[in-house]
Amino acid sequence: MSLKINKHFDEEQNQWSMELTGEVDIYTAGQLKDTFIKLIEERKENIKINAEGLDYIDSTGLGVLIGALKRLKEENKNIIIFNIKPSIKKLLNITGLDKIFIIKG
Amino acid sequence: MNKTNKDEIKLSIPNKPEYVSVVRLTVTGIANRMGFNIEEIEDLKVAIAEACSNAITHGHKDDDNFKVSFVIEENKLVVTVCDSGRGCMINDIKNPDLDHLNQEKEGGLGIFIIKSLMDDVKISSSVGCGTTIMMTKYVGVDR
Repeated sequence: MSLKINKHFDEEQNQWSMELTGEVDIYTAGQLKDTFIKLIEERKENIKINAEGLDYIDSTGLGVLIGALKRLKEENKNIIIFNIKPSIKKLLNITGLDKIFIIKG
Repeated sequence: MNKTNKDEIKLSIPNKPEYVSVVRLTVTGIANRMGFNIEEIEDLKVAIAEACSNAITHGHKDDDNFKVSFVIEENKLVVTVCDSGRGCMINDIKNPDLDHLNQEKEGGLGIFIIKSLMDDVKISSSVGCGTTIMMTKYVGVDR
């Protein structure tokens, strides 16, 4: 299982729209990190992540999300995550990260 | 399965990130046949992958292997992940500080996650001898 990242800039809402499918772990976290760096370099705007197809994430992946959010916060921008699976929601819950990212649905 | 004896499954995994998913698949198979439910299996997958990521990150050499052992008992699964790295000062591991976000210093989040998801966690480490993380989860405790 690998990680598939779809992204485009939503001009109407002036934010990045990202779709994660598969697993983010120590193997695929670098791929996600590179994508975030590119996005943020291009436009420092909110990033909205559809996590419907995200089956798994661990601390290496959460670390990448935290790093990206830190850069966005310099401009008062956010990461919004929606359609999260229960197991991942639980992980965000116990780590307290649900209070740091904007979680929807 | 012989209910009175412990069964043990041992893996030796290269210190390479691409093999962590193999350990996740293995634990899913073992936990499934032991009767853990889906939520418990997800907890096990995350906790054990965190321990493996730790072993790879802190493991000594790239061409070395780390060891994973699964001890199957009637009502619990004990998983031990053992690396041959340089070890660390386990008393220095702090809980993550979410008010001062720093990706590079996000270490400690993994151990925190393991302790949250497993019923019993023992970590032993000494400088020069590597780190061993022993994790126990009981079948059906949260139900």
